[in-house]
Amino acid sequence: MKPSTLRRLIVIALIALWEILPRTGLVPELFLPSLSSTLKAGFTEAGEYGQALLVTLYEVGVSMAFACGGGILLGALVGSLPRPRVLIMPMVSSLYAVPLVILYPVFTVWLGIGSESKIAFASIYGFLPTMLATAAGIQTIDPQLLLAARSMGATLTQRLVRVVLPAAIPTVLSGLRIGGALVIVGVVVSEMLISSAGIGYLISRYRTILDSPHVFAGVLLVLAMAVAFNAAIKWIERKCAIWQTGTRGAQATDDDVATGAMQPAT
Amino acid sequence: MQPLANVTPLRSPPRAGAIQINDVGQVYKARGQDVLALSQVSLDIKPGRFVVLVGPSGCGKSTLLMMLAGLRQPTSGTILINGTPITQPDPDRVGVVFQEASLFPWLTAEDNVEFPLALRGVSKAERRARAEEALKLVGLEGFGKRHPQELSGGMKQRVSIARGLVQDPPVLLMDEPFAALDEQTRMTMGDELLRIWAATGKTVVFVTHSLTEAVYLADEVVVMSARPGRIVDQLQIPLPRPRTYEMLSGDAFSSLRDRIWRHIRKSA
Amino acid sequence: MERMTNTLARIAIVLALFALWEVLSRMGIVNPRLLPSASDTLATLCDLLRRASVRNDLLVTATEVLAAFALAVPVGALIGFLVAENRYFADVTKPLLFFAFSIPKSIFLPMFILVFGVGFSQKVGFGFFSTIFIVIMSTTTAVESIKVEYLTVARSYGATAIQTAWRVYLPSMLPVLLEALRISMIFNLTGVILAEMYASRDGIGHQIATWGENFQMKQLLAGVVMIAVIAIAFNEMIRWVETRCSHWRT
Repeated sequence: MKPSTLRRLIVIALIALWEILPRTGLVPELFLPSLSSTLKAGFTEAGEYGQALLVTLYEVGVSMAFACGGGILLGALVGSLPRPRVLIMPMVSSLYAVPLVILYPVFTVWLGIGSESKIAFASIYGFLPTMLATAAGIQTIDPQLLLAARSMGATLTQRLVRVVLPAAIPTVLSGLRIGGALVIVGVVVSEMLISSAGIGYLISRYRTILDSPHVFAGVLLVLAMAVAFNAAIKWIERKCAIWQTGTRGAQATDDDVATGAMQPAT
Repeated sequence: MQPLANVTPLRSPPRAGAIQINDVGQVYKARGQDVLALSQVSLDIKPGRFVVLVGPSGCGKSTLLMMLAGLRQPTSGTILINGTPITQPDPDRVGVVFQEASLFPWLTAEDNVEFPLALRGVSKAERRARAEEALKLVGLEGFGKRHPQELSGGMKQRVSIARGLVQDPPVLLMDEPFAALDEQTRMTMGDELLRIWAATGKTVVFVTHSLTEAVYLADEVVVMSARPGRIVDQLQIPLPRPRTYEMLSGDAFSSLRDRIWRHIRKSA
Repeated sequence: MERMTNTLARIAIVLALFALWEVLSRMGIVNPRLLPSASDTLATLCDLLRRASVRNDLLVTATEVLAAFALAVPVGALIGFLVAENRYFADVTKPLLFFAFSIPKSIFLPMFILVFGVGFSQKVGFGFFSTIFIVIMSTTTAVESIKVEYLTVARSYGATAIQTAWRVYLPSMLPVLLEALRISMIFNLTGVILAEMYASRDGIGHQIATWGENFQMKQLLAGVVMIAVIAIAFNEMIRWVETRCSHWRT
């Protein structure tokens, strides 16, 4: 059997089991509500979920602007200056080992339990990997390309705009992919912990009243969001596939991503 | 100097440059100590000559080339190209062809060739016309829309040469341009380069590790020694042109090669 | 020499940050109730470490982290090894694993509460769940990082399976495995602490969440500093071992 066929069968079997196991009572509905009851729960409360989704999307959007904008800007700065890079990069990646989620209570004290604390937390959560990836991308731009541009009389601005920027795009994109995924996680997790609105809040509220189908409907919605974001970035990356060989760093960053060096840690 | 506009490499009278290197030295700092990379290098290159620099690793031949390109400044001495000192990269006077991988991967072949023109704001139409001309010169007509990764190693180097020639500079510098190519491609590219050189009449300064390539291509081979880099020999290559593959096995060829090899072995 | 200056400069940066924190709070530039001074926070930290309840919380968290780690690493490594060594298995499962790897794990936390209730097994379970995929991925990478040439050489000299495992697989995988260990630990710690913060009766994550809810800023910041120091110390320790073994990596 072809591997892809088997894989499809496995996926279909998993989905079927999701429906059958709870229905036959082999797995209690509380642990795993069947697919149909999950979807039904989602549709009957579509209005509530829709409103929560809007709140979450708003928070994700603002945090992403902060996390990715700041991360790319600072990463480019640190990556292109050798002295700060050698000094700061190891510190930033040490910081990466800290479970940042412990900062969330601090933000709730400072900013309250509204959107502000979520945005602050998710921005910081997504900022680090975006910055790390951008700095790595900038510093691995092939020096030959810059030398060639100089030999053709390119000014500093021309070198930045015409060489550094395009060459850094693939790494920035993979930074964006990780940073963006973390922003989504950050927003949803903080909503789950303490809040009064958003998908994470819905998940937590239904969990406390042991309403599994509604919990699952929320989880599915977040999953869809994460998958859609990932697909969107992948699509852009494919559009820019031609860039992929622009830096040796692009490959390296992708390896890092694959080995999880810069993956969402939750 | 003649105006650049409306002049195309093929039809114009050759624009060739004279190079005068006077007593050039280069010192760089490593671990707080001064290291003498080049010492008292003097060389006079007549317009239209094909000069090859050879020498062991670390003899400063690439450093010398970078100085000719204006990418580095000599610590002492002067470098004149067509009578004026070269203090910064000047694509009007000097074109540079690097080792592989110096093409911008996000640009097509023709955009790569147009790049130096785009830097100085030449109009799109003129850029395109001149890029086409240059690509035709290097035998890549019809490949302009491809990206570098869709081209073979030899074709990439042809694009690089076209980029070096697109501004019609009187001097073309080449830093081990064929080092990454396989043996056959390398031979073919050598012949191609000689054809392009004959068609354009540029002054070429070419750095290589390969003694065979050096003798095969050059009017004149300059042998350098390491630590500090200086010139130890200058050989005129009296082989007739066009050069042919048969010459490689001739006695004249091997004795020239041997003479260079003895110098390099002694100084390395 | 240069490494020394860099280390000193880094220490200086950290000290400067603490000094800034101290000044901001002392001068009243920010409300000291919202940001107690660094010295107060560190004093509170010492005080907390002397409390039996906090030490107990740390012990609970450490036990959960180690339990989850001890479960996730062997299971993940085994699956990862299978994926790396068996072409067919790899072709079937890799895209699925990649998918599982890329989706956020934390949103599944409520399910662990629904299944296990609130307690030790729920937290270990979630810690396991958040760690296993990264272990699988990194083991696969580690095995794939072995150069085929090494295996060919070993085989051509007649090495037995055990000799190959001991003399080729282990030494060439070691640096990658250490890296995997380090990253898995980050994931694991994050998973357990999140689980404790979300719903728990004990553990340091639970304590931090409680301090936050009660606006006990001194304790809260002391807790944050404590966790950060522990996490960074562990991370640097493994990195140090990594650099010592780095001559293997070619």
